Amino acid sequence: MTVLLAAAGLLLSTSLAVAEQTLYEMKEANVKITTVEPERDVGYTVGDILQRTIVLEVKKPYTLLETSLPIVGYEHRWKGQPTGIELHKIETEQNDLGDSTTYMLRLDYQVFTNNIVAKPAILPAEFIKFKADGKFYQYRIPSWGFRISPIATFGAAKIELDMSPFRGPLLLDPNPEKKRLKVLIGVFAVALLGLLYILGSRAWLPRMGGPFASACRDINKLRKLPAADVALQQAVARVHQSLNATAGSSVFSDSLDSFLQKKPKFAPVKTDIEQFFGLSRQVFFEPQAAHQVGDSPLNWLRDFCRRCRDCERGLTPEERV
Amino acid sequence: MSDRQLADWRELAQKLESEINKVVVGQASPIRAITTAIFARGHVLLEGDVGVGKTTLLRAFTRGIGGGYQRIEGTIDLMPNDLVYHTYLCEDGKPHVSPGPLLMSGENLAVFFFNEINRARPQVHSLLLRVMAERTLSAFNKEHSFPHMLVFADRNQVEKEETFEIPSAARDRFMMEIPIVVPDDADIMESLIFDTRFHDVDALVAQVQPDILHFDRLNAFSAVIQDHVQASATLRRYALDLWRATKAPAKFGIKIDGVDINRLVLAGASPRGMSMMLRAARVNAWIHGRDAVLPDDVHAVFHETTAHRLVFSPVYEMRRTEIARELLNQIIQAVAAP
Repeated sequence: MTVLLAAAGLLLSTSLAVAEQTLYEMKEANVKITTVEPERDVGYTVGDILQRTIVLEVKKPYTLLETSLPIVGYEHRWKGQPTGIELHKIETEQNDLGDSTTYMLRLDYQVFTNNIVAKPAILPAEFIKFKADGKFYQYRIPSWGFRISPIATFGAAKIELDMSPFRGPLLLDPNPEKKRLKVLIGVFAVALLGLLYILGSRAWLPRMGGPFASACRDINKLRKLPAADVALQQAVARVHQSLNATAGSSVFSDSLDSFLQKKPKFAPVKTDIEQFFGLSRQVFFEPQAAHQVGDSPLNWLRDFCRRCRDCERGLTPEERV
Repeated sequence: MSDRQLADWRELAQKLESEINKVVVGQASPIRAITTAIFARGHVLLEGDVGVGKTTLLRAFTRGIGGGYQRIEGTIDLMPNDLVYHTYLCEDGKPHVSPGPLLMSGENLAVFFFNEINRARPQVHSLLLRVMAERTLSAFNKEHSFPHMLVFADRNQVEKEETFEIPSAARDRFMMEIPIVVPDDADIMESLIFDTRFHDVDALVAQVQPDILHFDRLNAFSAVIQDHVQASATLRRYALDLWRATKAPAKFGIKIDGVDINRLVLAGASPRGMSMMLRAARVNAWIHGRDAVLPDDVHAVFHETTAHRLVFSPVYEMRRTEIARELLNQIIQAVAAP
């Protein structure tokens, strides 16, 4: 605490000493100033930060008096009224160039004012001091004027006609359209799949869902029926349907050769088809007739159907077990 | 009748076929159809071009069947009474009346062969309607019956001058109308030209073993076949569907190029026609040694027993043969059994 009090006393005495000194105007020849102002000079509103960079190249022996730099948080006043422009941050950089010294000051001002219409404002002129040969010199960094814009347009405004280049074009919210597009793409995909399914003769994949493939499934269900003779009749009729559907016309034992000519991929099961017609003869037309399909005609029909299904898929039919 | 007797008759039928096949070559299918008609006791109408062997074929069958055989040529001035009697002046200068071809063989008349039937007048066709349907005739104040008679007739489809279209009612009396076409086998065609045994038709027909069948037992045996050979429920449904398809082919999805299928058929097959078809199908099953009719048996006789019974719109009558063949083929393809 004692140390702090001592330091404060020393600082106060130094300031008073400077204040008592005569201030000379810094000659332009001794200072070369370069300023980098914010890119635009309008469109600022409360909360915005404006950065200006001032580079001062000062001939020796002039040295910057750092205590003369503006103080962060200081708010300028104009005719006793706060201007609403406050120094937010300051950075300094010093570079010795031999016979001169370069000081770079980066000043960030924050706007704390607004209005319902655009109004002029300035980044205030700053007075900094240099010291040389025991004398003090004052130098004025020029102010920079800009316009503070209101947050909202005063009065009724049609936003579509407000083509402010600072705000950029008004963008519509694409999300509902994106969502709708996704839904429509989904619907289109489903419709396309449905169309493919229909065009593919109600089969999801090529060579699937043929007459014998569905007959195989039906015969497997029929095998579970309790009445074997009814099941056998239905199963034989189902295979007849598949043969007819495959040929595009009714197939009988006397038209088997023309069927095989039309559908040569069924040639490997020709003997089976002949046996099937023998079974059909016994089941539907001549109960006393003998057939050659063994004691379990339903099982034989299931295997026959599978072999025909292989044929309709262009595969080599599996051998009988 | 035992299976043995059925088999014996089958052998006779096969013997008859083989004998006919020896003298009429390249016509196995029509020969099978005529054999079927004989055992089904149905009249047969042959249709074909000139000089294809229709008459020879029928004469050969007549010889094989045995029994009384009479023949008459269809001419434009033929009148119904020419079939029943003819009058002439005898050596004594007095008029005499003799029985005509229909009456000459009495009850033993087995085959009445009407050559070129479409040259005869409609009056003759009318007489024939009764004779074919009832196998009886009233003449000389007496009822004559011909229980074993089959009418074999032929007509050529090329010539139209001085011919009379056989009315549909007369056509319906024929069990079968069988097309006879020239065989397209080169060897057969060559032998028909160069083989001298085909040059003398009388000698050729004489090669057929006579009286292979016992004509007077055919009626009884035909009934046995019809009783013996069964038609299952499925087959009956199939035959019914075929019949319906001849009446309304459009309902069965049948289409023929250049034909309005809805206007094509004025009348489908008749009940008599379908009954004859089933009779023939039963015979076909018996010939093949089966005890029940299969769809294949129906197919074997479907064209021959049905095509000539269909009545088409007049606009399609000129293309009758071609359209009927296509229609019946498509009916067989469209109707499923089961």
